[in-house]
Amino acid sequence: MKWTRICNWIAGFCWLTLAVPSAGAAIDGIPGPTFNLTAAADTISMPDGGSVPVWGYGPEGSRSQYPGPTLIVNQGDTVTVALSSEIAVNGTPVPTSMLFPGQTGVTASGGSEGLLTRESTGPDDPVTYSFVARRPGTYMYHSGTRPDLQVEMGLLGALIVRPSQGAGLAYNHADSRFDHEYLFLLTEMDPALHEQVAAGNLDGVDTSAYYPMYWFINGRAAPDTMAPAGASWLPTQPYNAMIRTRPGDTMLMRIVGAGRDLHPFHHHGNNTRVIARDGRLLQSAPGAGADLAYSEFTIKTVPGATYDALFHWTGRKMGWDIYGDAPHECNDGDGDDFDDSTWEYCPDHGEPFPVQLPEAQELAFGGQYSGSPFLGTEGSLPPGEGGLNEYGGFFFMWHSHVEKEMTNFDVFPGGMMTMMVVEPPGTPIP
Amino acid sequence: MERILWPCRTALAVAIAAGASGTALAGVTVQCPGDQNGDAISDGRGDPDHPNARCVHLGAGDGYVRMADGRPLYMFGFSDLTGISEKKAMDTGMLAATFPAPTIVADEGDELYLTLTNVGMAVRPDLFDPHTVHYHGFPEASSIFDGVPEASVSINMGSSLTYYYNLVEPGTYMYHCHVEATEHMQMGMLGNLYIRPIQNRLPDGTALGTHVHSNPDYNADRNDDDPTVGDTYAYNDGDGSTRYDVDYAIQLGSFDPAFHDASETTQPLPFAYMEDRYAMLNGRGYPDTVSSTPPQAPAENGGIESQPLDSLIEAQQGERILLRLSNLNVTNFYTVSSQGIPMQVIGRGARILRGGGTPDGRDLYYRTSSVTLGGGEAADVLLDTTGIQPGTYFLYTTNFQYLTNNGADVGGMMTEIVIN
Ligand SMILES: [Cu+2]
Ligand SMILES: [Cu+2]
Repeated sequence: MKWTRICNWIAGFCWLTLAVPSAGAAIDGIPGPTFNLTAAADTISMPDGGSVPVWGYGPEGSRSQYPGPTLIVNQGDTVTVALSSEIAVNGTPVPTSMLFPGQTGVTASGGSEGLLTRESTGPDDPVTYSFVARRPGTYMYHSGTRPDLQVEMGLLGALIVRPSQGAGLAYNHADSRFDHEYLFLLTEMDPALHEQVAAGNLDGVDTSAYYPMYWFINGRAAPDTMAPAGASWLPTQPYNAMIRTRPGDTMLMRIVGAGRDLHPFHHHGNNTRVIARDGRLLQSAPGAGADLAYSEFTIKTVPGATYDALFHWTGRKMGWDIYGDAPHECNDGDGDDFDDSTWEYCPDHGEPFPVQLPEAQELAFGGQYSGSPFLGTEGSLPPGEGGLNEYGGFFFMWHSHVEKEMTNFDVFPGGMMTMMVVEPPGTPIP
Repeated sequence: MERILWPCRTALAVAIAAGASGTALAGVTVQCPGDQNGDAISDGRGDPDHPNARCVHLGAGDGYVRMADGRPLYMFGFSDLTGISEKKAMDTGMLAATFPAPTIVADEGDELYLTLTNVGMAVRPDLFDPHTVHYHGFPEASSIFDGVPEASVSINMGSSLTYYYNLVEPGTYMYHCHVEATEHMQMGMLGNLYIRPIQNRLPDGTALGTHVHSNPDYNADRNDDDPTVGDTYAYNDGDGSTRYDVDYAIQLGSFDPAFHDASETTQPLPFAYMEDRYAMLNGRGYPDTVSSTPPQAPAENGGIESQPLDSLIEAQQGERILLRLSNLNVTNFYTVSSQGIPMQVIGRGARILRGGGTPDGRDLYYRTSSVTLGGGEAADVLLDTTGIQPGTYFLYTTNFQYLTNNGADVGGMMTEIVIN
């Protein structure tokens, strides 16, 4: 990966250039096809300073985590998941298990008989699940033991099956091609239920009294959603949701409704094409491609459902030059109206910014504002403002549009919210 | 309540270079091409460089509304300052917030210049909140005009910020303030916004599949062609399938009175226990939704009429009714059902409901009798009244606990559909 950052400090802008865009920002997780997991009690940390006792799955020998590890396998793999429960309440082991909705032919061996599937009743009673990952897509997994309580406690996670046609596709069709992919696993929690469980009141806990106070993307509440993945201060919440793309790139959103409430997930910046639901391409016939895909700006995320959506942004027909006065050219050799490398929309090239902005003292500035309306430009900001926009990108808020869910236990802002940034062309994205 | 004296801008501020974005402005400043006197209305034939400019001037501040059970509620909101001079904008906007916010209607191909003036919170002089306009759903957005304060700028009291958008995608959108979104949106900074398609402007007699477009006042100069005369469509469908005779933009919303009261009295705001108890259509609960006279203006805002929109749906038998439904409450999903008249969903997410959201995509229209919308969702629904007996029908939520006004009698999220 070779890139250069050219800054003109006098004009106050930076321009990023890059030869080759990187392919496929990956989703954090653990590769299969064999997984050895432990379920255990632990705690998660909240941005308001609170902590919540949880039960979570984790790789054997590691702390458990929320959500459980994202299991990443390939289509056709024979997936084997071994699970041991180390959860105990008042010294009594608590059985737990795993269900794999959307998979067929799941077999369970070992462990002990349970209602929905076989369970691990303790460290000495491991259970093993096995199935062939027949269809590519985005799936979830969760506890099949007293799910009303155990899923709320944190026993859930995502499963991604990569298609046999290879990397850069979500399904075996070009309509699912992507440059970057991100997971959006949406959950919520009522900490009062967790406290009751932690206090040992396993029989008295009433999950129908559920009243959520925390809302999560990938197990973190904002602003932790934007902290680095694997941050040391969030040892049981390793996954983040800092979403990055570039003009012209296609980003795959893998959305999982893993909690018990519906969430209208609103992604600023542009509509997406929702191309799949529950691991099935929205197609009228096999091989037809995503011809039943719909376009949305708010994805109605239903509990238990998954959605794959493609996001693509160029600033097309904005009516003004998104690079402003920065010296640049727009070269449209192939006649698609876009610059052949930067994806600038050439008919807008050189068009002036349409309005005048007020004086600085009349404005409040966001931390993710570069100080300039132009992509890749860093403008001057009053002292102490901005600072969270390294490359002069366009930041957009992606969040639950039940805005009540953008809080952490009575504190705004927080909750089910993160930022997506369209970085200037050539910005490295891992 | 004390009346605040606002510093008035008497002259253009000294231009200050502000990076690449040109000169900076101060105070209440309307930016509208072709407008000479700052009232956000183009004068004469407008600006030849921007023949399709459409200007709006909104105030952002506070006000009062009256719920259908008679109870006044404090709110934050937008007021329409279009046509008001810059000099009078602060005074006119004070306590003049309406619910919903002024409806913004524009046409595909327009350039939308929306000036937002922060008139301050007369009832909460302790608050110095900035405000924004977020065009919810506008495609290919830039951060600077997206209205998210964390990602760009928001406007302080006594000043104006002008948002620009080049309107290229028709459809049903919505808009709201995005500053401290949970609070400002629960408090009522929410409005209808839709863009009519360019297909409305086709010459009279243009064939759209088997449908022949009617446009008796067609004029190649779009400023002399009323886009609502002749056939009108929700989207550029190419076949007339989204044609309607009458259209109604109806925004679902709801308020938590405890939150509004806490805000009014400067108490801690109950975010965690937020529970909406007044469910409304276009800012009113039934039966106010069908009343041609607005609810009695609250005394608390000095008697300003703040709920101008009814939601009474009327059509002649055989006509096609387009409902532009959006939901901007911050706590619930709502399902609305049309009793007695089948619904056909033809759009969602401000796009035609065809494969990929494109006119040439596969037809995904569907017939139903209910539509579920979460906050931030929109749907375009056709009601075909062919063969429907004249009479009164209802559009109502099937979340039945919201068919009351804070628990009092029948009311809430319901209106009438009258077929003549
Ligand atoms: Cu606001
Ligand atoms: Cu919104």
